[in-house]
Amino acid sequence: MEDVVVRSISRIIVPFIQLYGIYVILYGHISPGGGFAGGAIVAASMIFYGLSFNLEAGSRKLTHDVSSWMESGGALWYVFLGLLGIVMGGNFITNQAAGFYTGVPGQLVSSGIIMLISLGIGAKVASTMITIFYSLSAGEESSGDHL
Amino acid sequence: MEFDPLLAVAILLVVAYVFFYLPAGQIRKLLIPVILAIIGYALIVAVAEMPPFGAVENPQYNHVAQRYIEEVVQETGAVNAIAAVLCDYRALDTLGEATVLFVAIAAAVATLKAT
Repeated sequence: MEDVVVRSISRIIVPFIQLYGIYVILYGHISPGGGFAGGAIVAASMIFYGLSFNLEAGSRKLTHDVSSWMESGGALWYVFLGLLGIVMGGNFITNQAAGFYTGVPGQLVSSGIIMLISLGIGAKVASTMITIFYSLSAGEESSGDHL
Repeated sequence: MEFDPLLAVAILLVVAYVFFYLPAGQIRKLLIPVILAIIGYALIVAVAEMPPFGAVENPQYNHVAQRYIEEVVQETGAVNAIAAVLCDYRALDTLGEATVLFVAIAAAVATLKAT
């Protein structure tokens, strides 16, 4: 869509939506939210940018290479955290017995593996939603009629 | 009502076998609502036998849920019990869900990436 108001507002507001999404991911063990909801919010910001501008600008902002790196990186990070538990002498995914820092409940840096897993899950969900949006819209745009 | 599940599955399998080998005609058109009615009746009976929602003596309120609620702050250090159950007590299921997400996006990109 080519509205001036929508375009300028979307340029201003997209960083704040992403900041809120990262807050929901990081504070997953204190307030409601967690990895899945925060990842959806971050993806919504990029989808909003891609809708208010055209899809070329949107897919240039977050290219397919970066998106696939985020996706694979999230899964590999999760498995790496699980394997750390085996290296330190416990089961596959261990929290406190593998040496992760479990501090005062209620602080940001506490509860060891939960925040790290939330980061991986958030990156994965965000890149999944953005890739699906760009794949579906690009397919429709290239094969549909231009009004 | 006593419902032997193995007998029901066997009857349904025999009916499906007979159904697929009938020539397309009037018998098939009459048999479809009958089969659907039987399946629907079985499902309604199963739902009617379930315990009321939220009763204390349901089998899901056992010692596992009690231990999760009582020991979540001490064992994991997280105040949000849902995040602790998702990412610490049942982290392997969350890994399975992340794998399903990855496979879904790989299949979607492989199918839809025309250029």
